Amino acid sequence: MSKRHDENDIVRVDFSFKRELAETVEGDLANFCYQCGACVGDCPATTYSEAFNPREIMLKVLYGLEDELLGSESVIWECTNCYACHERCPQQVKPVEIIISLKNMLAARGDAPDAVNKVIHTFETTGRTVPYSPAIDKQRAKFDLPPLGEVPMDEIRALLEPVVEGDAP
Amino acid sequence: MKRFAFFPGCLIPARHPAMEFAIRATLPKLDIELVDLEGASCCPDPIYFKSKDKLSWLAVAARNLCLAEDLGVDLVTNCSGCTATLSETYHLLADEPELKDQVNERLAKIGKTYKGTSKVRHIATVVRDEAGYEKIRNSVTHPLMGLKVAIHYGCHLLKPSRIMNVDNPDDPSVLENLIRALGADPVRHRNWYLCCGKACQNEDIPNNMMHDLLGSVHDEEADILGMICPTCFGQFDHGQKKIAKIFDEDFHTPAVYYFQLLALAQGIPYDQLGFQKQRFKPTVLQQFDETAAPSPA
Repeated sequence: MSKRHDENDIVRVDFSFKRELAETVEGDLANFCYQCGACVGDCPATTYSEAFNPREIMLKVLYGLEDELLGSESVIWECTNCYACHERCPQQVKPVEIIISLKNMLAARGDAPDAVNKVIHTFETTGRTVPYSPAIDKQRAKFDLPPLGEVPMDEIRALLEPVVEGDAP
Repeated sequence: MKRFAFFPGCLIPARHPAMEFAIRATLPKLDIELVDLEGASCCPDPIYFKSKDKLSWLAVAARNLCLAEDLGVDLVTNCSGCTATLSETYHLLADEPELKDQVNERLAKIGKTYKGTSKVRHIATVVRDEAGYEKIRNSVTHPLMGLKVAIHYGCHLLKPSRIMNVDNPDDPSVLENLIRALGADPVRHRNWYLCCGKACQNEDIPNNMMHDLLGSVHDEEADILGMICPTCFGQFDHGQKKIAKIFDEDFHTPAVYYFQLLALAQGIPYDQLGFQKQRFKPTVLQQFDETAAPSPA
């Protein structure tokens, strides 16, 4: 009988996934996680959801388990963005930032939730997360506040586009 | 007068103009001058747009910081979300020169350069550090004696502490002291450290969390829930109706933004502070219209 492990028992690290994650801002910090679990105790999402555990998310990141992290069963949108894990992490991995980097990867694949996409769309088209309406200025006038100022959308749109060769310095 | 660039963000100017009114009415009495930022956009928000693309998020945030740099002043925020975005941008670009270069390549397209010369200050720390509790106390004409205010810090005012530099996140005191300066009694309920849950995309989590939090506030018999963030405010005002329905329990704890409380204590009447627009109206505050402290002889 062979002493070799069954191939199916071995987790294969998906390096291409990890390289893609490392391309996002602060996505490379994940490698410093040593699985201590300091991020778990204060996590409100863990307190209220059995499915959500930042240490487990970080372990999946270390292995590069793309399907579990970015698939339809992914729990990353349960994160409350409270930054308690960022506060606690002795390795300065900033688990919340890794989770947001994973969301960046989902967005790049076109797989962000509709509710999230709606707010993103409002920002990209108006420069605000609360869409403008004349009713807003009417309410503001009741408090002697001036109308909302203009957002120069040409500038915002330019900033949302990556720099390409030939852009004027 | 200490001058600051005022970054009101999206939620307060559009959804809660009463909060902006209260800020603009109260700060001059503390010798703090706000200068408006022309052409400011959304910070952008640290929940949704940051989830799309962090580099674009940093570039837009850096543009907002450039507007304050052009005026040569620090920037003051009145929303904890804006504070999170802009403080994080300030620190990350200071720590990561390569990232700063990438952001500046984008800013070059609109003729701007981010330098990192304007700090980001949450309005709670500005009144604490620039005016001080004593000056706030001296600005109060209608002390809120006997009012029990449950404290809700929210998350982004305190954490991560090495970026926010506001207070000890495990045992903060700034909001308690700001409430005391108004003559009211702060109450630290047992769930004081909880998040409002707004960013979470699974409704059960924030619903259960808010239910626990409102329950502990109710147990302390607090009159109101004192807020410092408009996002948390929305959760506990609008959201409290939903919680009451789901759990069939009516805690009826009105949420109140700190600067509206300060305005009331400085003598602006209840009816002028927009409380009638709230789902849960803090009518307990009406009594303070009549309780002007005798002016010192």
